[in-house]
Amino acid sequence: MAVRTQTLERVAPQEPRKPATHYVSIFLRSLLLCVVGLILFTPFILAALGTFKSNAEIIRFPPTFFPAEWQVENWPRLWNTDLGNGGTFPRWLLNTAFLSVTTAILQVIFCSMAAYAFSRLEFPGRDVIFNFMLATLMIPTAITLIPAYVLMTKLRLINTFWSLIFPGAIAAGNIFLLTQFFKSVPKDLEEAAFIDGASYMEIYRNVIIPLARPALLTVFILQFQAMWNNFLQPLLYLNSADKYVLNVALSIFQQQFKAQWNLTLVGAMFNAIPVMILFFIFSRYYIEGIAYTGIKG
Amino acid sequence: MATVTNEPSAAPSRRTLMAVLSFLVVFIVLMTIALFNAPTMGGPRVMATVETYLTEVRRTALPFLGAVALLAIVLGLAAARVVYREWPNPKRRTNLIMGYLFLAPYLLITLTFTVGVVLFALYISFTNYDIFSPPQWAGLANYARAFQEKNFLQGLHNVLWYSLLVVPTQTAAAILLAVLLNSQNRFKQFFRTIFYAPSVTSSVVITLIFMWFYLRTGYINYFISNFLGTFGVEWKNINWLGDPRGLIQLIVQAFGGDIPSDQWYLRGPSIALMAIMFQNVFTTAPTFMIMFLAALQDINPALYEAASLDGANGWHRFWKITVPLLRPIILLVVVLGTIGTLQIFDQVYLATQGGPLGTSLTPVYVLYQEALGTEGPIQMGYAAAMAFILAVLIFFFTFLQRRFIERETQLY
Repeated sequence: MAVRTQTLERVAPQEPRKPATHYVSIFLRSLLLCVVGLILFTPFILAALGTFKSNAEIIRFPPTFFPAEWQVENWPRLWNTDLGNGGTFPRWLLNTAFLSVTTAILQVIFCSMAAYAFSRLEFPGRDVIFNFMLATLMIPTAITLIPAYVLMTKLRLINTFWSLIFPGAIAAGNIFLLTQFFKSVPKDLEEAAFIDGASYMEIYRNVIIPLARPALLTVFILQFQAMWNNFLQPLLYLNSADKYVLNVALSIFQQQFKAQWNLTLVGAMFNAIPVMILFFIFSRYYIEGIAYTGIKG
Repeated sequence: MATVTNEPSAAPSRRTLMAVLSFLVVFIVLMTIALFNAPTMGGPRVMATVETYLTEVRRTALPFLGAVALLAIVLGLAAARVVYREWPNPKRRTNLIMGYLFLAPYLLITLTFTVGVVLFALYISFTNYDIFSPPQWAGLANYARAFQEKNFLQGLHNVLWYSLLVVPTQTAAAILLAVLLNSQNRFKQFFRTIFYAPSVTSSVVITLIFMWFYLRTGYINYFISNFLGTFGVEWKNINWLGDPRGLIQLIVQAFGGDIPSDQWYLRGPSIALMAIMFQNVFTTAPTFMIMFLAALQDINPALYEAASLDGANGWHRFWKITVPLLRPIILLVVVLGTIGTLQIFDQVYLATQGGPLGTSLTPVYVLYQEALGTEGPIQMGYAAAMAFILAVLIFFFTFLQRRFIERETQLY
């Protein structure tokens, strides 16, 4: 790694000597990137503008870009929509946030514990269990879907948040990610702590966890996003209006108010904006998380 | 407890005690999990109290529990043996106890919600099961039936087309985006964030937005009619998500022929399905781009310089250096893409409900319908059988891709 950065630094100082065409090329490339970025963002821009249109305008042909008449009241109207049985937007937002944060915290704790055992402790059966974990990563969700639903009905967890919290408290992929990270952390500090008489629990809490903070944040964010965007499991397990998560509520909403595209789009924005904000704050950790998943291949 | 009397000191007796204890813990935990996942009927009457459930288990699930008990005894004995062996050495003893304590949450959850659940699914896939009555043994009937019913076959046909078109497109798009980003040094971070941002939102949000775009009066029709209009070609607005005409059918129709509806499997992917494909590529390409970008940054720039000195142009550098070095990530992206596309559900559930004429049915959507009984009686066993057929298909493709792409890698 050190060698590579050295070569990079050696190359860098040559750049200023390049001719004017170099800067033209940089400008053209940036322009191209802007255009691609704009194209990728187009759906959101159009949808965001669509939330302010009247219901007649939003399905009129030819479609308009800016609303002819800004109907700002679409937003509070959706916010105050009541599907009955306590099904309101603030409620769904809260449910989704609660599930996402809870499972993300649980995963940070449980996945890091397992990863610590896999990367630092030596005991019989460790490698067997690790390989078994990698094998479970290959099981398609389609298989576990139906029997997990039956299990939830038997445990009487249907229509409770536990049905999503229990299975969501662990993710084999995240354990793998953390194991790889822990293995890359030098052992010197722990060995020093060990000689000082620290127990494994103390080392885990006081040495590993602080060192692994970036990786733990990555796991937190990956799981937060996974739960926020999860659709199939909440659709199966949660079936009363006050328990819905945003994704399920949106699908129900879309089916009930089929023609009201402006309100549906407001709902989509309510769903998208929180994750987008979180993404812009923590984008580095998101991207590291995705890149990490790539490295394991 | 014969061993206790044979051993004179106190330490070995504790050792034996712990071995027996660990056997019991393993046995009880596994049996409890098996009890939850026992193939019995459910429903409010059975699940009313623990007692009614246990009665039901005793009535119908004893063979299943017996089989699990054998497994639990084997694993328990293994655990007991390990504990007995490791106990005398204090360091190894601590390692053993702490190791399994740290793993306990993972093991409990994965045994309950993955292993137990998969075993249960395997069992009920050989039975007729609707939750409200005990499972009836049906042998391979569910599997045989899956290959006879049009819904599932059409679903398989659709997702195969879907994978065939989406996976190469999204991989190529992701590589192009990554290379484009990587060629830029100044604002790389900024553009990376901008490119990826739309992909962090949920499939539900994207699907809803695209459903609106795909309306007969939507932006897609508007864009195409304007674009073609500049060339003087007239465009008749179509309802994208409601159009069952297939790709091959359209080509045949252009030459004046047609493919009858009883030969649906020759029609190719429908316009509705292709509309969903386009939307899918739009959001997955940036995600995979991040993986490629990470790999691109690991390529030694000296390689490109050397190639430039030898007179290689950008095109050559891309095909002879970038693509071969990206092969491991390409494999991963292709495998992940195939696994994802074969299990597509959200988009179909929201946008088309499998329609029009079943041209956007997918296996997961069909098994969802069968398991919940939205289109008839609840058929969990049949749904489980379909899930296993799909899983075998996924394993098969993963294996093929691994073989194929890895063998090619050897050449470099």
